[in-house]
Formats: sequence, C-alpha cells, structure tokens
Amino acid sequence: MAKPVVIVVGADKGGVGKTTVSRTLLDYFSANNVRTRAFDSEFPRGTLKRFHPDVTEIVDMTTTSDQMKIFDTLNAGTSVTVIDVRAGLLSPALASLRDIGFLDAAKSGQITFAVFHILGPSIASLDEIAETANFMIGAKYFLVKNFINDTQFFQWDQATYNSYFHRIKDATDLTIPKLNEMAYEQVEVSSVPFLKFVANKGTNDEAANYSFVLRGYVRHWLANVWSEFDRIKLTDLVGAGKPMTRSGEK
Amino acid sequence: MPVTPVYIICSPRPLVGKTLIARLLSEFLLLKNGTVNSFDINLKEPSLLDYLPGTTETADVIDTYGKMQLMDRLIVDDGIAKVIDLGFHAFDEFFKMTGEIGFLKEATRRHVAPIILFVADIDRVSARAFPMLQQQIPPNALITIDNEHVVRGELPTAMEAGRVLRISALPTFLKTYVDRLSFSFTGYLRNEKDSSTELHQWIRRNYSSFRDLELSLLLQGRRPLLAPPDS
Repeated sequence: MAKPVVIVVGADKGGVGKTTVSRTLLDYFSANNVRTRAFDSEFPRGTLKRFHPDVTEIVDMTTTSDQMKIFDTLNAGTSVTVIDVRAGLLSPALASLRDIGFLDAAKSGQITFAVFHILGPSIASLDEIAETANFMIGAKYFLVKNFINDTQFFQWDQATYNSYFHRIKDATDLTIPKLNEMAYEQVEVSSVPFLKFVANKGTNDEAANYSFVLRGYVRHWLANVWSEFDRIKLTDLVGAGKPMTRSGEK
Repeated sequence: MPVTPVYIICSPRPLVGKTLIARLLSEFLLLKNGTVNSFDINLKEPSLLDYLPGTTETADVIDTYGKMQLMDRLIVDDGIAKVIDLGFHAFDEFFKMTGEIGFLKEATRRHVAPIILFVADIDRVSARAFPMLQQQIPPNALITIDNEHVVRGELPTAMEAGRVLRISALPTFLKTYVDRLSFSFTGYLRNEKDSSTELHQWIRRNYSSFRDLELSLLLQGRRPLLAPPDS
C-alpha cells in the first residue's frame, strides 16, 4: 500500500496566502488524478471549505479529537492529506505533531511529510523560518515566497535575502507569482476552485459567465504556479509519478 | 458559418496612419455589412472617435477593468466586425495582455478571427515589435500594412515575409482634405460623380484590398484557423 502523504500548508503570520496556496495544491492534485482530502483549521468558519467543499473538513487542530480525526485516518485509502493551518497555529501544530510521534514516523520513512511554509514579504514572516526549521528533520521543507504584492522579498539586499533563504539546508524555495487583483477577487466572489473558474463553471458545474480576461489571468497564473509544483516534482513526492500533460500551458 | 472578424490596427510608433486605416476599414465594413463596432484606444493621437462617433467607442487597457470592458466584447461571436485603433502607447500592454490571457486560442474556439494589421515603419522600435507579434500571432492573421506615406521605399525585409497590404500615399492637398473631421470616404464615393479622380481611385483600391482580406478570412473560416505559434 502507498505511504500516506501529509502536506501542511501554514504560517504563523496572517494574510500571507496560506489558503490560496492550499487551493492551488488541491487543484493541482485534482488535475493529476491524485486522490486528496483536505482539512481546514480555520475553525469554525473555514475558508478552504468554501472553495473545495467536497474534499474539505473543518477541524479545530487544538483539540485532541480533531487531531485524531486527521492523523488516525491516514491509512484510510486517500493518498494525500492537505492541512491548511490557520495563522498563528503552525508552530503549535508542528509541536503537537512532534509530541504525538508523527515527526518521528516521518523521519523513519513511514509517512511522507511536507511543509509548505508560506512567506510574505516582511521580516516578521521571514523570522518564522528559523523556528519552523527546527521541526523539519524528516520532512520536506518548502519555503514558499508568495508574491501578494509588488515587493521583492529583499532580493535587492543580498545579505538580508541570503540570511533567510540560504541558511536552512535542505529547504527548497518556491515562488508563487502575484495574481491580478481583480481576477483574485472575482474567484473569491464566485467561491469555486481556480480550475472551475478557468473552465467557466459554477459551484455545481453549471455554465458560468466569468470575464474572459479574468479567466485568462487566472489560467496564466495557475499554469505558473503549477510549473513550480512540477519543478519540485510534487507528483513524485506524493507517489503519483510524472505530472500529466496539461494542454494550453506555457 | 462565417467567423466574426476583429481587426486590430497597431504600431508601436505614433503618426504612422493607424487612425486613417481604422477609418477606412470601419467605413468599408459599415458600407458592406451595414454595421461595425470600432474601438478607439488611441486617446493621445488623432482620434477615431472624432471621425466616426456613431460607431466608435473609447476603450483602454491601462487597468484590468478597462481590459475586461474591451476584451470581453471582442471575444463575442456576434457576427459584427470589430475594428480596434490601438494607440502606440498601448501597444506593449495590449499584446502582453492578449498573450497572457490566451486571446488567440480562445478566439479560435469561439469562432472569432483576430487579424492584426501592423503598420510598418523603418525604425528600431517597429523592428523589435514585429518579431514579438510573429511569435504570438499565426502568420495568416498577421498582416503588414505598407503605408507609402510612412515607409517611402522598401519595407524592412523581416516585414515583407508575410502578407502585405499596401496603402499608397496621397498628395498633400488630398491628405489635408481627407483629414477633415467631416470627411467620409464612403460619402465621397457616393457623392463624387467623377470616378476617375485620384481620391476616388485611392478609396476604391483600398476598399478592394479590404474586400480581398475579408474573402481570405471567409475561406479560413471554412477550415480550422492556424493555431498560434506557441501552442
């Protein structure tokens, strides 16, 4: 039987785009026919669930019962579990995983564990890297630079940039380009996965009437995000082989 | 079923005759089809809107909202030919956007046929812009306009490769005459009884070129349009 795969998407800082990245992951796995379930820890409202209600469950990760709901069911047949960890909860969640022996199981190879640490272009966000890295033995650690605005993650100041991005061995950088603001808002309003938006479909697969321009921007952006996932061989990581050929992508 | 044509008249250079060609083409389509939708993205230059206010709307590609207002209409297969007078200042942004949103591919899917009429010039900016268009636009949809008034000699070799549509230069006094806001090419054809005048023949020659262009488009519509080069 395939090894369970757990992908944690999180950050301690808020507003850096954790749920957006989680949504692109769910779309990516869906396009590559990888069976996936997701947990949305934004209890009790849930944002991820609004976009992917079929595969998402809202959980309160601070409670033992919900932790059991996630980690005691890893062998239930679904190959990938994506956990969207709400702001401020990444470090406590990783500490909990250490305490229940999950990190040791990852270290011994029983579980594939990856962390997508979503970073915003601020020192407060980048300062989280050192703390999170302490938990990453046995895990694949991805530093996700999410370009939520036009800032450059201090790349103009090489010393500052290197002090954050080149200090952690075995961490892999990932770049999420900025999505056109109106396109982002239109997808928010429509409450559908990015894939459905691009395909001009509503919640229940009915024909929608989204702007062709905004769909084009989302398609272009999503293709760029997915090419980053291809670059890090995400489908290999989750044991699904090579990514599927997707028409119309550049 | 005929495709809905979208003519995009463009150049990265000002004052090469884009608006003149947009006027001619709009008036030809209006005469032939009885309807045309023209869009003026040319507010910093002599404006199509000033010449054909009845059939022209302003548009911009500065922000996303403007792009939506324009492109969401251009992509509709409503059988009404569209003419875009694309100002030089909007050239880069427009084609960057069309490349990003996959305009050509979606247009093919929706039975809309964009035709790019690139008004040639011999400067470096035009020389750089043309290969960029060649990368994005299939050869049968990219037409070089050789405006004799601008090029005054041979076209740059790279621009001669594909289809070329020639616009001969008018004498200065006739140029001044047709530049008047109240002048209408079709109106002139209708009202001027002497069909041997230079202007009469110039208009008819250009209308014939446009008719040939439409005909080739009709023929294209009966078989699948070529896919964009990068697909």
